[in-house]
Formats: sequence, structure tokens, C-alpha cells
Amino acid sequence: MVEYSNELDAVFGSLSDPTRRDILKRISKRSMSVGEIAAHYQLTFAAVSKHLEVLERARLVVKTRQGKTQIVSIAPKALAAANDYLEHYRQLWENRLGSLDKYLKLINKTRRRAGLSGQEGRK
Amino acid sequence: MAPIKEVVFDKTYDAPLLQVWQAWTDPEIIKQWWGPDNVIIPECTVDLRVGGEIYIVMEAGEAMGPYKGTRWPMRGEFTVVQPNSKLAYNAKAWTEGQEQETEIDQVTELNLTEENGKTKLHLKATINKTGPAAGMAVQGMQAGFTQQLEKLAEFLKK
Repeated sequence: MVEYSNELDAVFGSLSDPTRRDILKRISKRSMSVGEIAAHYQLTFAAVSKHLEVLERARLVVKTRQGKTQIVSIAPKALAAANDYLEHYRQLWENRLGSLDKYLKLINKTRRRAGLSGQEGRK
Repeated sequence: MAPIKEVVFDKTYDAPLLQVWQAWTDPEIIKQWWGPDNVIIPECTVDLRVGGEIYIVMEAGEAMGPYKGTRWPMRGEFTVVQPNSKLAYNAKAWTEGQEQETEIDQVTELNLTEENGKTKLHLKATINKTGPAAGMAVQGMQAGFTQQLEKLAEFLKK
């Protein structure tokens, strides 16, 4: 469990940077060489390599060697774990909106009991 | 740049528009529904104008066991305030004591319209930035929710 949270922390740490998110988005469509990725950004090759290193440590990407070039591919497992986590955010809102529904039903019930119509409450 | 997570909801409430608007903008009313069961809202302030601040603190109650007493503040700034219609704010949420690591930057956009005495809500919530331990913060908020869902389902059956 502890190991699992460390892994997730690494994933979220990686995702906290917009450039790294952008890299992930690009390579989720197709694998690319490091040079190809770097060409999309106004960053030095070294800076892009550094971002890729962080992504690799979080196991969000894997590098494979094809001759002289390194190919970067997405590693869906870690991303899926992060997605599972972010799913909580959707649930959080879903529950919150459900609570609002509950609250509105409750006050309107009380209001009707008190003999007030919904319209009178609209002043 | 791609957001980290975006969620969109469409929901219809059997309540007049003004009531739903007030539920989102009156701090005393927010306190009554914003947090899930087992979570209290000890602090909430709303300065309802563009550039004004919204501040909501959720605090874990007794039933949340190990999380008890944990506070999750959210501080935001309104970017859109169109009474009885549109509301938007940029906010930062975090777990108290771990502000840096658990920070979540989010944008909330709310759109309300009335139809036959019912209110249609359209909500878009976007996470644009997270601290390295934000997953834990989201999990913390989630901790009391399973029970809440069951209670809601029961309530709606009545």
C-alpha cells in the first residue's frame, strides 16, 4: 500500500507539469523518438530529456532503443492508476450535486408543510 | 495545454432557479449541503462579485476515523458573476498542513437555466494543476462518500 502511494505520488508529481502533460498527450497518439518530441517545444534537448526522465521514473513512459534512436512510448498502466484516482474527483462532484438535490428537496418539503408554495419562496 | 482532468455534469433540480442560485452563493446555505455526511463546513465566506473571494473549509468529523479533524480548505476568486445565471471561479484546494504537496488548482463553471419551475444545472469542473501528493488529498475527500451515496439512494427511494 505504501509502495502504491509512492508510485502514485510519482505519477501526480509528473502530471503536475504542463509540458509533461503535453508530452504524454502527444505520445499517447503514437510513439516518438526523443528528437521528435523535442522538436515540438522551445526547450533545449537536455530540458526535454529531463522531463522524459521524470515521466520514466513515474513509469508513465518507457524508452526502447531502435538502432541509434530512443523511442518513447506511453505506459498505460501507471496512467490508468492516476485516472482511477482522478475518478474520485468526478465522484466528489457527483456526490456534491446529489447533496444539493437532497438539500433542495428537504427545504421544499418543509416549505410545503408550512403552507408556502415554491413561488412565495422566490422573493 | 491539456488540463489534468475535466468533468461535466448536467442535472435538473426540482426547485426554482433562485433557490439553486442561493444554494451556490449564500455561505449559510452552502454550509448545509456542500460537504458530504461526516464532514462539516466550519468556515465559509462568499464575496459575490468578479474578483471577490470564495472560501470554504471542509473538516472531517468523528465518523471519518483516521481522517477526523483533517481540514480541506478551498480558496477561490470569482471570474464570472451573472446573478441567477452564471458563476465561475478559479480556486485552489489543499489539505491543511500540506499546502504545497496537496494543492489542486481548479476552475469551476456553473450555468443555471429555468424550465417549467425546474432548474437545469450545467457544471464544468477542471483540474489544471496538482501537487505531487494531490491524489492523497482527493482520496481523503472521498473517504466519507461511499456511505453518503448509499444514504442518498435511500432518501430518493422514499
